[in-house]
Amino acid sequence: MAMLDTAVTATETLTVEKQSRRRRGVRVHFTQFKWLYLLLVPGIVYFLLFRYWPMYGAIIAFKDYVPFLGIADSPWVGFAHFEDFFASPDFPRLLGNTIILALLSLLIAFPLTIIVALLLNEMRLTILKRTTQTLIYVPHFLSWTVVASLTYLLFALDIGPLLQLINGILGTDINFLADPAWFRPIIVLQDIWKNTGWGTIIFLAALAGVDQAQYEAAIIDGAGRFQRVWHITIPSIMPTIIVMLVLQMGQILNTGFEQIYLMTNSLNRSVADVFDTYVYFMGITQGSYSYSTAVGLFKAVVGVVLIFGANWVAKRFNQVGIF
Amino acid sequence: MNHSKPLVGVGIAVVAALALTGCSGSGTGADDANSTDAAKLESLSIMAPFLSTNAPEEDNEIEAAVEDVIGVDLDMTWVPNASYGDKVNITLAGDDLPQVMVIQGKDPGFVRNAEAGAFWDLTDYLDDYENLKTTFPEVQRASSVNGKVYGVFRARDVMREAVIIRKDWLENVGLELPETTEDLYEIAKAFTEDDPDGNGTDDTYGLIIPKWPGTIGTNSPWDAIETWYGAGTRWTERDGELVPNFTTDEWFEAVQFERQLVEEGVVNPDYATFDSAKWNEPFLTGKGGIIIDVHSRVGQLISLVKQSDPDNFENYVDVTGNLTGPDGELYALPTSGYSGFLAIPKAQVRTEAELRGVLEVLNELNSAEAGPILNNGIEDVTYTLDGDLAVAVDDVPQALKDTVGAYAQLGTNVNGFQGYLPKQPSEYEQEMYDKRKEIETADLESAQFDPAAPYVSPTYVSKGAQLDTIVADARIQYIAGQIDLDGLEDAVELWRSSGGDDIIAEINELADADS
Repeated sequence: MAMLDTAVTATETLTVEKQSRRRRGVRVHFTQFKWLYLLLVPGIVYFLLFRYWPMYGAIIAFKDYVPFLGIADSPWVGFAHFEDFFASPDFPRLLGNTIILALLSLLIAFPLTIIVALLLNEMRLTILKRTTQTLIYVPHFLSWTVVASLTYLLFALDIGPLLQLINGILGTDINFLADPAWFRPIIVLQDIWKNTGWGTIIFLAALAGVDQAQYEAAIIDGAGRFQRVWHITIPSIMPTIIVMLVLQMGQILNTGFEQIYLMTNSLNRSVADVFDTYVYFMGITQGSYSYSTAVGLFKAVVGVVLIFGANWVAKRFNQVGIF
Repeated sequence: MNHSKPLVGVGIAVVAALALTGCSGSGTGADDANSTDAAKLESLSIMAPFLSTNAPEEDNEIEAAVEDVIGVDLDMTWVPNASYGDKVNITLAGDDLPQVMVIQGKDPGFVRNAEAGAFWDLTDYLDDYENLKTTFPEVQRASSVNGKVYGVFRARDVMREAVIIRKDWLENVGLELPETTEDLYEIAKAFTEDDPDGNGTDDTYGLIIPKWPGTIGTNSPWDAIETWYGAGTRWTERDGELVPNFTTDEWFEAVQFERQLVEEGVVNPDYATFDSAKWNEPFLTGKGGIIIDVHSRVGQLISLVKQSDPDNFENYVDVTGNLTGPDGELYALPTSGYSGFLAIPKAQVRTEAELRGVLEVLNELNSAEAGPILNNGIEDVTYTLDGDLAVAVDDVPQALKDTVGAYAQLGTNVNGFQGYLPKQPSEYEQEMYDKRKEIETADLESAQFDPAAPYVSPTYVSKGAQLDTIVADARIQYIAGQIDLDGLEDAVELWRSSGGDDIIAEINELADADS
């Protein structure tokens, strides 16, 4: 009882303090931290100018935008473009392709990043660890154009060494670049090759923060290497994993434009068309600005919903989330 | 509240003056001497594509020479050809438009803007200008949007399709130049199976086909074969109704032939991914022996062969024109006769007087004085005259050659080619050049013109491009053996049900109203 009383008093004191601080006024607060607030100004300006102001353009999704008339004078059409989009035969195909690609990356590429980070972390020889890490994150700095060109070279009919090797071993006659069945595996493999090493960085940072004393205690208790990873390492970096996962959820419809666009051809288009390439095709090459803006906006809204949803679920189960 | 009338008058005058001067880096002012009330321009901004690696430099000598003739400063914006279409759409959505824009075709983005009034309708203006009044009214019509002419078209040869063949291979397998599609098949087969290069290994194929252009009706090798089979060019008339060529029986016969070519391995296996920029390579390195493309490629190939084998270069390339289809008739594939047009955005050219000013400059650009500069360059610098033929000067730097090529993009030639035809460097090349011209003339009689060329259906504008992709992809999938004939028919059916039938109805309505 006595202890509880003390606690209550402590809380009360805190509240009183907080209120008095608030009473001292906003002005004092700003005067006190004015330099910090000044530092904030460029950031605010940046976001207003380059992130919020362009959103004005998004209203053309609800208009029949004609460049000659301008945004303001183009006639309103309400949700017509959205209705057109949902009714079009393209919609189920795009949604399917996008979600499949996103899930593949979520189920394969994302866990792989964590696994690679764990493996790197277990490497004892620092120099080996550093070298490996550097080597696997170098591909991140290549552009998708380069990655696509490499893929084309490796898998080109007649001359592609990888194509010849695989077809030689398996005794098959697969044209990887044109066969729709191979489109998704190639996309995922490219993604893994390019981004896995880079993705490990954040997990390695999290791993560096794990309390070493826990390992020592575990070793004394006779925990094996795998048990230490399972019972100490993974739980310790779980919050990081969750945060990364929630962020990934928001990206789920962002399959990325460049990679898909570069790998698409007439023979694999049925599985390759995704929202991002569609927006480009309709907006930039066909000049249907309003329609493609509507598609882009739909994608963005789904992204926001997924982020909030995933965050809510994460908080429910784990008490951690990003906001 | 109480505006007096004179003041309103002054206000209008001020606004008008502002409108005249405010919008122009071009420095306009009324020119009273001219009866058509044309504003006299001091400069003209033009956006145009260039096809070489580097854009022309600013203030280059070609531009200076052109400016001398037309009496106006040119302010050029050069955009790489490959991304030109995208750039046009982006530019139209922005506010920094040029006074004249090369538009490469009647794609939906352009039509949508034109119909909203973004470009001047030049239908009633062009006849007032000596050099813009076309002597090819049917081409001008074909370039119009339902009869409204939104630009000065850039004339191109009407007949360009050709079959280009390895001459030495043809001799080795003991065959003649093809005359029919059946001959083409035989030659392609012999080129694939009979070791035409005589090296003892099975390392050749017949036809070289690139992935570009993949869509229907873009004069790709596939399109050429379909026209030869009698399916028409893009659109065709069946029972008094205009229909897309891919709804005809002839088209289906043609794609079956195309599939047969691929199945029997006489086409390069990577036809779905092969980059058209490398089209010449297999031909030159002796991997493939037949190219179906415009005959100007013959000239390119010969000069490339000449570089590697200057002594025997006459022995490699031969050419013939369109091929007779299975029913024994010759159906020749024409071009549209134009390659886009020069359009005038209203955002920059606001008044009729300014429009007249711009048209006057364009009129000068297509004059007998300016034409040769755009098409040939500068006499005694890039070419010399031998009678009526231009002889290329040997040591012209590549940059200057490219610059001439770029300015040729501004040539409209609406009343005939304004320039000198090139004299070929050797007798053999001259012979081949003349042969190409003969093929052109001969094939012209059998040209299958697109009867729907001038008509633009609203449904096509809103979703035609997606619809076309359905059929184009299905065609390649069928040729590749991914889908069967039913699948291809389903794709055409899907095209119909997703809006294609509306397009057919609208096109026919426009055609009926027209006749």
